[in-house]
Amino acid sequence: MSDPVLIIGAGVAGLTAAVELADSGVNTIVVEKLPTVGGNALDLYKAFPTDDCFYCFEGNRWRPGIRKCFYRSALIDQPNMDLKINSYVEQITGNSGKFEATIHVGPEYIDAKKCIMCGLCIEYSSAFSLVSPQCQPQAVTYDPDKADEGDKKAVEECPTKAINLDAQPKKETVSVSDVVIATGYHEMKPVNVDEYSYGKHPNIVTQLELAQILDPIGATDGKLLRPSDGKPAKRVMMVQCVGSRDENYYPYCSKICCVYALKHANILTEERDASQVSVVYMDIRTYDSHERYYREARENGVEFVRGRVARVEPKDENELDIIVYDSLLDKYLKFTVDLFVLSSALEPPEGMDNIIDSLGLNVASGFIAPADLVSENEVVAGDHIYACGTALGPAEVPESVTQARAVASKILQNRK
Amino acid sequence: MTDKKKSQLILCTCGKQLNLDFDSLSADLGKISMTETVTIHDTCCQEDGLEKIAEIMKKKDTPLVIGACTNQKLQPRIDQFLKQKGIDPSRVRYVNIREHSAWVHPDKQEATEKALGMLRGGIASAASSSVLPIEEKEIPNHVTVIGGGIAGIETALSLENLGYNVTLIEIDDKLGGHVLNLPVVAPTGKPGAEILKGRLEAIEKSENITIMTQTQVKYFEGEMGNFTVNYISNEKEDELQTSAVVMATGFKEFKPTMMDEYRYGKNPDVVTQYELSSMLTEGSFKKPSDDGEVKEVVMVQCVGSRSEDYKKDCSKLCCTFAIDNAIAVLEKNPDANIRVVYMDIRVPFENELIYKESREKGVDYIRGRISMVWEKDGQTYIKIYDSLLNQYFEVPADLIVLSSAILPPDGMAELSETLGYILDDGGYVKELYGKLRRNETRRRGVVAVGAVTRPQFVFEAVTDAQAAALVLHNELQGGKIKTVARGAVLNVDDCVGCSLCAQQCPRGVPLMIEQPEEEEDEEQKILFKAAIDTLNCHACGVCQSLCPSAATQLNFLSNEQLWDQVEATLEDASGENLITLCFYCEECSVSTIDIVGTRKMEYPASTRLIPVPCAGRVSIIDILKALECGAATVMIAACEHDRCHIGGTGNEIAQVQVDVAQDILNAIGWKGERVEMFRMFSAEPERFTNAIIEMVKRATKFAQSPVHKGTAGKYEVATK
Repeated sequence: MSDPVLIIGAGVAGLTAAVELADSGVNTIVVEKLPTVGGNALDLYKAFPTDDCFYCFEGNRWRPGIRKCFYRSALIDQPNMDLKINSYVEQITGNSGKFEATIHVGPEYIDAKKCIMCGLCIEYSSAFSLVSPQCQPQAVTYDPDKADEGDKKAVEECPTKAINLDAQPKKETVSVSDVVIATGYHEMKPVNVDEYSYGKHPNIVTQLELAQILDPIGATDGKLLRPSDGKPAKRVMMVQCVGSRDENYYPYCSKICCVYALKHANILTEERDASQVSVVYMDIRTYDSHERYYREARENGVEFVRGRVARVEPKDENELDIIVYDSLLDKYLKFTVDLFVLSSALEPPEGMDNIIDSLGLNVASGFIAPADLVSENEVVAGDHIYACGTALGPAEVPESVTQARAVASKILQNRK
Repeated sequence: MTDKKKSQLILCTCGKQLNLDFDSLSADLGKISMTETVTIHDTCCQEDGLEKIAEIMKKKDTPLVIGACTNQKLQPRIDQFLKQKGIDPSRVRYVNIREHSAWVHPDKQEATEKALGMLRGGIASAASSSVLPIEEKEIPNHVTVIGGGIAGIETALSLENLGYNVTLIEIDDKLGGHVLNLPVVAPTGKPGAEILKGRLEAIEKSENITIMTQTQVKYFEGEMGNFTVNYISNEKEDELQTSAVVMATGFKEFKPTMMDEYRYGKNPDVVTQYELSSMLTEGSFKKPSDDGEVKEVVMVQCVGSRSEDYKKDCSKLCCTFAIDNAIAVLEKNPDANIRVVYMDIRVPFENELIYKESREKGVDYIRGRISMVWEKDGQTYIKIYDSLLNQYFEVPADLIVLSSAILPPDGMAELSETLGYILDDGGYVKELYGKLRRNETRRRGVVAVGAVTRPQFVFEAVTDAQAAALVLHNELQGGKIKTVARGAVLNVDDCVGCSLCAQQCPRGVPLMIEQPEEEEDEEQKILFKAAIDTLNCHACGVCQSLCPSAATQLNFLSNEQLWDQVEATLEDASGENLITLCFYCEECSVSTIDIVGTRKMEYPASTRLIPVPCAGRVSIIDILKALECGAATVMIAACEHDRCHIGGTGNEIAQVQVDVAQDILNAIGWKGERVEMFRMFSAEPERFTNAIIEMVKRATKFAQSPVHKGTAGKYEVATK
């Protein structure tokens, strides 16, 4: 029996690789630092290119070949998959098909297999909550920082005795044959980019934060409201390439921001009744058939301003004046807006350089580069080491899925 | 009529947390003639509950109905457990009394009544359920790859590594495709020939890959596991047997001869970007007209791309190709002046760094368009509009390079006729589902890789190929397929040969087979009849809802089963108790409705929900049956447009059924609005509550339909 495959990260890419391998009879250990799988995808509301929700993914062949919602994927009941949430990989040693990984496993306050989501504990104590209706594992989570009197009662009353408040973190060492890095990306928080005043005014948000405002399951029930006073936001400006294509931050293009900005611009104009949406850009990069978003945005009356934002001047607590240099008109323009949205760069997640250094991988602007540059095998990062999804640099969901399948394909080919 | 069997029942109280009257449920269900036993358990999903289920199933060989939380979570666990115990799970029915009743209806009695109705339906449906057999079949361990470019080669090698025999068919006289002629491939900067070298050597050495060059595929017959490929090789027609097909026919570069402004085809010094690539690779970097030195170069982006007249979309690669070639030109002639005229420079991720490098090396980028190209005294001139300076200017050019659109290859439509994939608006192979299933096509056993699906960089095509090999491996299982035969079963004797199933199956599974000659009754003879391989079936039920003679039916949800379920569910419907019946698909709709439950969003309890595998399973007859059995309104919950989980069209078939049902009802004055279809989306749970509240409102407005069970066949004039 071969050693299991270690998969770091349970976002779209990691999960696809894990499920494909598990379905093919390969044992996998999936390490996820958050309390639920899904990664950045869970916060995206609508995904391009299909504009549907982000919760479905392939796998789990009890109905073959048909995609499933995350919440229906029953990952904890998949016999070949060991999902470790609230966990991270501390160290990987060894090489070439024989690795030892040390995993820090967070305290298991809730036994996910026992939790029936009856909601009793949530009634007793605010330390318990359901991360999302589509979280996976389907179980409540416990936040020890919010512990109160009610949680003892919750422990007693829990019908399946699924709660253990004394749970401790532990360290596990496992032997694995292959390592799959699917650690995803992080949206840069542009606090240091002075011209955009991010963090200094509540109505200045990033695209990922806007996605959460638009999400009907989110705090505003999907209504487009100004964070400052909860009044409808009618005038919105987006600015592209915040931190991307910028020598001071990231010289590369983050590839997907134009598409998701325009996706948001279309939602704002078509479904959220925004009266004025403008996009400040350098080049609009809607690759391939994503050009459709650009066409639709123009039809929806979204205004495109080629140029850069010079500065942001808060007018009052709720409104912002944005001074924009328009390079086509060679003029400075002033816009007054309710919401200013920054298309912030996709950066490597925390700890990426550690993984790259310790495994001796090639690097591409902080992300993982292929081991062999001539072969164009992008998913092969080393001997028995693979990467997929945005660990390889900015990627769309379908690209991440295809890469993850390529990884599973490569591992199965090696095991034949 | 099948033999009806009594069911055992187990009801789960969800740790005593469900606000339902389990005593009355148990008593009422116990009275039903088709009930064998009723058990109440507190936690069906836990070890003791699973043991209890196994115990009940072992005790008596009957169907089992489980009233508990959503089967979407429960079923995988129970299936897994029963499998370990060696118990067949195919006769277990699930009724969701938690998310679909107790959690959304605060009134205990109302919720209990609704649960009772749906459980009655579950028992009725289970009564004629049958054990689904595990079947095995052996198919050729062979795949045919069409197209010997980088994507086809990589797929062939990957499949070989996974244990398959492969035939690789190439129309040209050698393998390699377009990549062979690329002087530089971003982002690594290696020439295409170098990228191909290792692969071409491997494929030469391979014993399991048969290469057929100068071969053209003409048409296909058969289905997954049993395709016949008809081809012409060296002017000879021949055929081969294969289990699956990979489309890897690459792309075609747009030849802009009809765009007069560029003078392509008229002036030899106007070439396309790929033609420049070939010039650079072959080392013949001279002016095509007179072999002179190339000094002044103008590259024009978006020729044919992003244009209403030719190709609406962006071709994705051309900016990077242009920049790569610009750098390659500078290597040949460091004194060259290169201008790139563009609308937006589109270079993803680290290709931006190559863009920067080219600017540092002196490539000049002009945002604007070309207004014309002309020749004077043997010199070519070009007029450029610069949109940043708002100025026109004219420059002489030794070479004009058009970054021409990247188009799907020829012959796509012809092959699709027999291979069964469909084409998207741009003429590319349409993926089964844009977000997650890019390599799969509508037709089972046919995958598409590389540029035939969309413009792709080399590394993307390689990844595509590796992923597609896995997709096929999942389907073919090394040639030995063993699975539960759950899906459509065709009774050939009942088939009338209408071919609706073959035309409309979302995955192209049914085949029309020519019938053997029969002596008698030539007039009555049906020439073609359908054949369905249940093991290839996706079990959506579209064929069943369309079949005029009930010849094809799902073996887990026959017409009889669904009608019995509808009737039993609606047993308590009356003029005073107006019920809205909702058929929901077990994909986006069940997710949406479950999330409504998880979020405890309320809606009226005068509703009954019945699951179907896909909305396309619901026929006009099923809808009218519901009205006949006393439902006041019928709603169908389906996936959004273009998002049907089953090949993309099940929901549209359902829409047609609903439209026709409405027309029939309107025609006889029974109000078509009694029936409606709604599109679900699990990120927007209000879609379900809004829809069902609307249908309950209509139920109050229209009351029951004029003729239904209880009117005893007497015509009763609608009162409202």
